[in-house]
Parts: sequence; C-alpha cells; structure tokens
Amino acid sequence: MRLVYILPTGDEIKSGIVLDLDAPEIVGQMVKAFPEAEVTRLCPLLDVEDTIFNKIKEVAEEKEPDLIILIGGSGGGHRFSKTLGKDFTHSALEKYLDQYASHEIYGKNGHMWSKLVCGKKGNTIIINVPGPFVEAQAACKAFLEAYSKGLSLDEISLEMANAVLAQYPTGAAKTV
Amino acid sequence: MEHEYIIAHADKSVLKISGLEVKGLNTKQLEQILGEKLHTFVRVIGVTGDNIEMDVYDIEPEQVRKNEKGLIESIVLTEGITVTELTKLSCSEKIVEVDYDSIPDEPISACAMERWMKRK
Repeated sequence: MRLVYILPTGDEIKSGIVLDLDAPEIVGQMVKAFPEAEVTRLCPLLDVEDTIFNKIKEVAEEKEPDLIILIGGSGGGHRFSKTLGKDFTHSALEKYLDQYASHEIYGKNGHMWSKLVCGKKGNTIIINVPGPFVEAQAACKAFLEAYSKGLSLDEISLEMANAVLAQYPTGAAKTV
Repeated sequence: MEHEYIIAHADKSVLKISGLEVKGLNTKQLEQILGEKLHTFVRVIGVTGDNIEMDVYDIEPEQVRKNEKGLIESIVLTEGITVTELTKLSCSEKIVEVDYDSIPDEPISACAMERWMKRK
C-alpha cells in the first residue's frame, strides 16, 4: 500500500457533535502496517447516498489509491428507526463497485446491525467499517491481517464481519 | 457478488438520554463509563445535539431505569456532554426475536426487520 484515503461519514461527525475517533485509529493502524504509505483523512461526508457515491468515484478515479476506507453508515439505520442516522456507505459501495463481497450481521430482531463490503474498482480496494470505535478498530485490524495473507475479497469481508461480531456479547452466531 | 448473512443472538435494549447539550462527544469514553456502571457492553448508535441513543446488551431494562439518577450523574465527566435540568433517561424493552423464515426475500428494503414487518 502506498496511497490510502480514509473517508469518514456521518452528519454528527461532520458537525463536530461527535468526535471522530475512528479516523485517527485507522490512520495509526495503516501507518504501522505500511510505514511508507501516504495516508489521508478526507473531510467527513453527510449521510447522503449520492454524496458518498460521488466522493468514492472522485477519489478512486482521480487519485487511483491502493485503498479507500469508508467509516460509518454501515447498518440499517434510518430503515429501522426514524431516530437513527441514515446509513448509506454499503449501498453507495454496491452501486459503485464492479466486484465485491459482503457480509451482513443481523440482530435476532431482524435489524441489520452492520454490512461489511469489500470490493475492487480497477486496482483500488474499497472497504467500509462500522462507526462505533471498537467495531471500526476491530474491522480495520481484521482487514489488515486478511490482506497481508493474500485472502480473496470474500474471505477478507468474512474476516472483517467476524471481527465486528466478536465485539458483541454473543457466543451464538450462525451463517444463513 | 457474494453475500452472506450472520445472525447475532444477543439481547439488547435501547437506552436514550435526552435533554443534553452535546458537542465534541467522546463516544469511547461514554461507552466505557456506562459499561463500567452497568457491568455490560454499551454501544453509541445515534447522537444529535441534545440526545444520545445507545444499545445496551444483556441487561434488564428495569435495572437501567431504576438507576436513572446514578447513570446521569456518571456521564457528567464525559467529554462533550453537558447535563441540563431537562436531562432524562429512558430504556426500551429488550428486542423481540423475529422468525427469519417468515422474512420475505423480495427487495422491499435492505433491512430485514422492515421486510419482516411488511410481510404479507
């Protein structure tokens, strides 16, 4: 990896209501894994699918980085509760990527807690991680470990999903 | 495109604290403070300028509700939160399990809960 872009999303992050703790953590993990990489944290985006889609497209096509990491907006969000934020990183990625794998974690109430997408556009790998700090931290760490082993997109996505799942107090998970 | 689904069998409730002034919230610190107070996992899931929603796992909602005063006092030291006279706490009942076999496949929504609720 020589060029990495980190793209936080969320109205509450952009407005400063919530501190962006995830991006510094991910920058740290990237620098540790790839000491020569140029790692850039971009301006946070509002939770608007077109805005997220257009920014991914712009960064991927103009900068041609090795990796883009989107933070936040990975759950069911507004689709489940009107008081929650809008979650669009996974749907924007699915619209943009030609080649990808994804894993969805559902609660037993049927609510999609998180959808992890790992894909490629040209030579750029693009992933998303959840917004909660421990989940973002675990997902990024799992990505780096899986990537270093040369795993497939599907395998990387699964490793990331399992790492997020491990942050919940649950011993009973099943793949359906 | 490959997709797989994983079901997390965890009990949770939604804890909401309203009537706050929130700016520059350190969610990690808040999760840690409330997690230690409640002896469980806490995850911030939604924040606006005056309220915070959190998932709390494997705990009886009544245990949260009866400890309202203590919980509000405990969050005072969290970076980015100002407690006001209007601050109050509420906690939902535990989530209800749905039958995944009765969730429609058709793409009404990306959220299975919504598809389950709108099933014919």
